[in-house]
This record gives sequence, structure tokens and C-alpha cells, in this order.
Amino acid sequence: MLFRMIRGVLFHQKGKMLLIALTIALGASLATGMLNVVLGVEEKVNKELKNYGANITVKPKDSSLLSDIYDVGEGGSLNAAYLREDELGKLKTIFWAFNIVDFTPFLDASVTLPDLSSVKMTGTWFNHHLDLPTGESLDAGVVGMRSWWDVTEGRWLDEKDGNAGSEIMVGALLAEKMGWHASDTVHIAASHGEQDVTIAGIYDAGGDEDEQMFATLDLVQSMTDRENKVASIEVSALTTPDNELARRAARNPAALSSRDYETWYCTAYVSAICYQIQEVITGSVASAVRKVAESEGTILDKTKLLMILITALSLIGSALGISNLVTASVMERSQEIGLLKAIGARDHSITGVVMTEILITALVGFGAGYFLGFGFAQLIGHSVFGSSIDMNPKVAPIVAGLIALVTIAGSLPAIRQILRLRPAEVLHGGH
Amino acid sequence: MTKRRMFLRMITASLLRRRSRMLIALLSIGIGATILAGLVTIYVDVPRQMGAQFRSYGANMLLLPKEDAELNSETLAEALKAIPEDALVGAAPYRYVRLDMTSRQQSFTAAGTDFEQITKTSPYFSIEGEYPERTRQVLVGKEIADTIGVKLGSTMELTYQPTAKSGDQTPEESRVPNATLSGSAEGFGGGVVYVTARLDREGKIASLSVDASTQTPEYGGQVPEDETYLNQFIGKALPLTQGQDVDAFTGATVTSAAVVDALNKATASAAPVQPKTLNFTVTGILTTGGEEESYVFLSLSDIEIMTGSDQLDVAELSVSAGAEQLEAYVNQITESSASVQARLVKRVARSEASVLEKLTALVFLVTLVVLLLTMICVSTTMMAVVSERRREIGLRKALGASDGSIRAEFLGEGLFLGLLGGVMGAILGFVFAQVVSVNVFGSSITFQPLLLPAAIIVSMAIAAASCLLPIKRAVAIDPAIVLKGE
Repeated sequence: MLFRMIRGVLFHQKGKMLLIALTIALGASLATGMLNVVLGVEEKVNKELKNYGANITVKPKDSSLLSDIYDVGEGGSLNAAYLREDELGKLKTIFWAFNIVDFTPFLDASVTLPDLSSVKMTGTWFNHHLDLPTGESLDAGVVGMRSWWDVTEGRWLDEKDGNAGSEIMVGALLAEKMGWHASDTVHIAASHGEQDVTIAGIYDAGGDEDEQMFATLDLVQSMTDRENKVASIEVSALTTPDNELARRAARNPAALSSRDYETWYCTAYVSAICYQIQEVITGSVASAVRKVAESEGTILDKTKLLMILITALSLIGSALGISNLVTASVMERSQEIGLLKAIGARDHSITGVVMTEILITALVGFGAGYFLGFGFAQLIGHSVFGSSIDMNPKVAPIVAGLIALVTIAGSLPAIRQILRLRPAEVLHGGH
Repeated sequence: MTKRRMFLRMITASLLRRRSRMLIALLSIGIGATILAGLVTIYVDVPRQMGAQFRSYGANMLLLPKEDAELNSETLAEALKAIPEDALVGAAPYRYVRLDMTSRQQSFTAAGTDFEQITKTSPYFSIEGEYPERTRQVLVGKEIADTIGVKLGSTMELTYQPTAKSGDQTPEESRVPNATLSGSAEGFGGGVVYVTARLDREGKIASLSVDASTQTPEYGGQVPEDETYLNQFIGKALPLTQGQDVDAFTGATVTSAAVVDALNKATASAAPVQPKTLNFTVTGILTTGGEEESYVFLSLSDIEIMTGSDQLDVAELSVSAGAEQLEAYVNQITESSASVQARLVKRVARSEASVLEKLTALVFLVTLVVLLLTMICVSTTMMAVVSERRREIGLRKALGASDGSIRAEFLGEGLFLGLLGGVMGAILGFVFAQVVSVNVFGSSITFQPLLLPAAIIVSMAIAAASCLLPIKRAVAIDPAIVLKGE
């Protein structure tokens, strides 16, 4: 009998139930879409912020001060320290390897031009292909790490091209001063060799780098007889904004309790990633570039909070909207409920019937809304960040619970209110 | 009773008597309007607020002196007039010099600056201790602090050596056009005589001043005062020979010989500027992860005292503006100022523009989706509330009401609800936006006056539109059937 009554309502009052299902579907899709976006936004924005360049620099222990403060040129100090190029692949083997987006090594040399002036030439990777011991392979280098460079003439130096070893890229100011253009050939001399190089491209970096030139790491190493040596590494990593634990750990990881240490080590704090880099690169000091790391944290936090608040508003909005509609639809059926009561139905069985009807409708609405909402999240992901937003498994139960709660909260008080009235009154139509 | 009063009475009566239903309708319109007003306010304000957050990346514009021109606090203030005050987050002037710490045989790059501005342009500076508040206090980069072992509160004795030391240039090399030369030689009784001469465009002496205060006042001491004696040097090329090129001063042969000797030995760089030493207290140690860790920072006035000049090397500006606006400021400053040129820090400006654009697009899309769905929710609720009243419509029709008057009445009711809900929503929405802004960005939001009429119009339109469909259906049906309850 119960089954028949429910079926009767669902099929005979199609229009009304469809309206409720539609509203619930919209509410559910809103909740699903927003929750997926809010849970995925941190990762997306984090990737966008990689535009600002490296947030970690790795330098050899103790050497940085000398060359930075005293302008000691290469070879000028007796025991200049270096990192090893063959260890760079290890960056992708640390615990947070997956979070390391890009990295590039640097090695500076002073080269002499035909007019006897000397300029700084930096050896680096452009789009260096790496095959990792894990079987993965990736392209790393300045092409990704200097996204703000404008190549005004020519093209990016391509390491996959066979001539890469005799090509350079020249800063806009230097090129202007020397009257150089792309594909010109220039003779350069360094401490341990000289050769003709071709200008692959001219870049505008909007900074000091405009007065320098860049060449492949191999070329600079061979011209200065520093095989396998690297002066510094810039690393761009996805990180979690620092909290109190991270700040404490950054001062001295050894002072942490073993439990805190584990939490810290297994969270992508910039200090934890620095620590792990030092573990794999011999004789290195990795430090966070505060300008980038700190700002990233601020902006991530703010974006997340903003999205959470917008989500909260839309959740409250859709919850109120749904419960409102459910209340309205229950009240509309006061005559029917009164009739049921008049012919002797018990209160709890009436409540049961009405609630079951509404919950079934809600379930249908939720099912449709969940997929619709996922579609919305993808729409936002693709049009804003150009990549899809992962389906978070936590979202479905949260939204289902929310819908159930809202539907019950919207219908139960209304049913009770009608049941309290005398059937005669209800049937008479007085209010 | 006039027709209009009857109409009003019917609307208000229906609103008042059917309280619970009308409350539901009002609530749903109110929610819709709140979300509309709240989200649009946030959306309009997000670029400004987020832009301010992005300023934590530091300076996005540099002001540099033009060639052969000088940047100092006056020319800087002049150039800054191009940027409106509320867009300028901060402008930190910098003067870089080399200072020696004689006691440790070390020398550092020192940056003279304005610390109050640094907190605005470089909020990422992490300080152990405090920023210097007075003169003679210094902020030390972490690398330096580690190397020489200074701690908070320790004192440092820093010395400024005038850049070119005497003996850097030979007297011959110094005798270039327009140079100012100075030199000294031993005069009468072992006292030193100082001379300063300026050369003209042809490299000949244009003016000469002598300090002979160590000489006998009645004789050699008179040399600097005697114009006839001094004038004979004007227009002559160095080196000089006494008795041949110039005559000796009567009664002070030794002193005048010293003057000629000092002139012949004079070099451009042997400036009488003394090395200046000041004592500083370390108030803070700076960590940035960048090259700033190998600098010491002190106040501009200390640098001025030590170097005797108020020129600046660069000013770092943090400007809150979009990419195009930034370009406009740069061009305006560079074109209008005679001595200052502006440059964008591309790394910061470019990245900020791209990230900000994405964030704005994100908030825009989210706002759009939320609004769309909310508005549909509102109209379904309104439709449910109205279709419930089919019996009432049937009754009225049976009593002789025209379709037009029924429609007008319901529409009037809907519009009234829309008005009420719109006002309520606009206010609540602003409150919500304010809460978000204070919580997320820590600053208050500006009320968009246009939003009040917009929220009211949108909610009235939605309320009216969602009334129309169910009324149309109800009106179309034969009253007898409706009343019978089928």
C-alpha cells in the first residue's frame, strides 16, 4: 500500500515532483561544482604562481658569500665550491619529487668579446632532456623558469638541435650596445678556450639579465674547464603555505619531536623540500627565496579563503532555496494530508509516506545534480586554467548529506504543522 | 472605494494573511538578491584587493637616474607625482655604497634606504629583531651576520672610503678638461700647503684656491688672499715652473714654491674628503633567501653624512595597477621628467598580470554559475507558491474577475515581493561582501551604489517572470474544474 501511494504521487504529480527534483538538482550541482573548484583551486593557482620563477635556490656550502660580496670572478678564489651536474636528476627522486615542477643549473663565466670588453655569460639548461632512474623523463631548463622573457628576435635556443653547443642567447641591452642581431656569428674567448658562436635569439628580460648572455651549460663548462660543475641551481616547486610548525622546522629540524618531524617531512612545506634537496645534492645549501615563497603562501591562502566563503554563501543559498521549495510543496498538499488523516491514517505513517516521496525525488535530483555540478567544475577548470579539475571523492558524500539534511529540514516541520491542524479545517480550505 | 485602493488592499491582504507562503516566497527572493549583490560586489572588488596582495612580491617598477642626471629625494618626489597616491603602495629609495669594517678587515655593500618604505615595498623581508628606527642603527643581512658573527645589539664601526683613493691616478692622467684637482706639498717650516684648482675646457687652470694656514701669517699666510699672485696662474697649463711660468710671492718663496709643487703633484682624486667612520648598533638581522642577505641596510641620512652627497642610485616602487596602467605610468614618468627614467620589473609585473587575470576569470565564472543557479531556484520556488493558488484564481474567475485583473494582481504581488526581497538582498549582500573582504583581505569594501537598483530590478524581474507562467496556466483553465479540485 505504501509503495502504491508513493508510486501514485511520483507518477501522477509528475509536474510538481519534477520541479522539486529540478531545484534539488540545481542546488546539488552548485554544491558539487563549488566544492570541486574550492578543493582543486589551490593546486591550480599554485601552478599559475610558478610564473614568478624559482622559489628555492641551491648553492654550494660556504661559497656563496665570497662571490656575491667580493665579486670574485670564476677562478678568482682558490677553492671555489661547486655542485655536480650529474646529481641534478636526483632532485626528481626526493620524497616530494612530484612537486618539483622545473629546475635549472647555472654556471657563470666571464668571456672576452672581439672588442676586448668582457661580459658575463651564463651556462644553463634550456630544454634539457633528462631520463630519470625511475624510468620517467622530463625537459627542464630556463625556457620554463624564465616565462617572463620576451624573445624579441630569433628563437629560444633549442638543446635538441644539433648546433646547440655553438649557439648563445643575448640580452636585449647587450645586443643593442654591440649592434648584434639574431643569427650573427660572434667570436668569444674564455679562460680555457675560444670559439665562434651563433646568436640563436635575443631576449628582453626586463632586468640585469638583459646585459648578459646565456649559453648551454656544456659550452660554458668546456670553455672554462669546469666539467660537470654547476655554481647554483634554481628550483621551482609546488609548496604548501608555511604554518607555525614549518617556521619552527625551518630554524632547526633536529629540534622537532619525532612526530612533528614526520608531519613536517611529509608535508610539502618549502623548508621540508629544501631539507630533502640538501639530502640528495652533495655539499649543498638549499634556501627558500622568501620573496617568492612567502608571496605564494599569502596569495594561495587568500584565494582559498575567498573561494571557501563564496562556496559557503552559495551552499547556504541553495540549501535555503531547496528547503523553501520543499516546505512550499508540502504545504500545497495540506488537503491531501488532511484527507489521509480524516480516513484514519496515523501521523507517523503519513509523515513516512510524504518523506519517502520527497527523499526519492531528492535522490533523483542529487544524482542529476552531481554530474551537472562536475560538468560546471570542468567548465571553470578548462576556461580559467586550461586543465581539468580532479573529481574529489570527498565531494559526493558531503553533497549527499547536505541535500538529505536540507530536504528533511525543509519538509518535516511543515508536515508536523499540517498534522497539528484538524482535518476538517484543512479540508475546508481555511487557513 | 476606488478601484486602485481595492487592488492595493487585495495585494496587502494576500501578503499579510498568507504569511507563511509569502514568507517563503520573500525569503527565496531575498536569498537570490543577497547572492547577487554579495557576489557582484566581491567580483568588482577582487582585482583591486588581490592586486594589493600581489604587492607582497615586491617592487614592480624601478626609477633610475637618466644619463648625466641625478636622482635625489627632490627629483624622486617630482617623478612620483605621476602616480596617484592610492595606487602607490610604497617607494623605497636606495643608495648603494661600499663600507669597510676596519676591525674585521671586511667590506660590504651597504644600502641606504627608508625603512618605513621598505616594509611596504618588500613585505617579504623577514627580520630577526627590529627595523632600525633611528640613525646610527643598522640592519644586517644574514650571510654577513653569520660570517662576522654579529648579533642583535652588537655594535659595528663602519667606514666610508671615498671611492678613488689618492695615488689611483698620476698627476698627468688627472689633467683632463673640466677636472678639479687637489694636492698638497710641504711648505715653510714643515707645514703642509693645500691647493685646489679647477681646469677649463682646454685643460688650463680656471680657478685656484690655496690653504696656507700652516704658514707664517705675515708672510706665507698672505698667499691665499693675494689676487695678483693667484691670478697669474689662470689660463696656464700644468706643470709649472716657478720663476719661469709664474713669479714667487714676495717674502714667501718657500710657500710659493710649495704651491707650485702641490699643483704639479695635484691629482683629480686626491680629494680632501676624509674617510668617515660612524658607529652603528645592530637592531635586526635580515633573511630573504636572496642577495639582500649579503648587504647591510642603514638610513639614508647616515649614508648622506658619510658620503656627503644626497644622490640616490635607484628607487623601488610598488604600484598597484594593471599591466597597461603600469606601462602608462612608466612612459609618463620617463617622458615628463628630465632626470628620472622608469622601468618595469618585468618578472613581477608580467607574472602578476597573468595570475591576476586568471583569478579574476575564476571569480567571474563562479559568480556567473552561482547566480544562474540561484535565480532558477528562486523562480521554481515562486512558481510553486503561485500554482498552489489555483483554487483562489478559479474562485475569482467564477465571481466574474477578468483574466487581466487577476494577472495584474498576481504580478503586482510578485513585483512587491521582488522589491522587498531586492532591498533586503542588496543590504545583506553588502554585509556578506564586507565580511568576506575583512576576513580574506583585511580591508573594507566599497559599496557599489549601482548595485541597489540592479538587485531590485533583477529580483523584481525574476519574481514577475516566475509568477507569469503558473498564472497563465491557472487562468486558462475552466474555473469549475479548478474549483472542483482536479
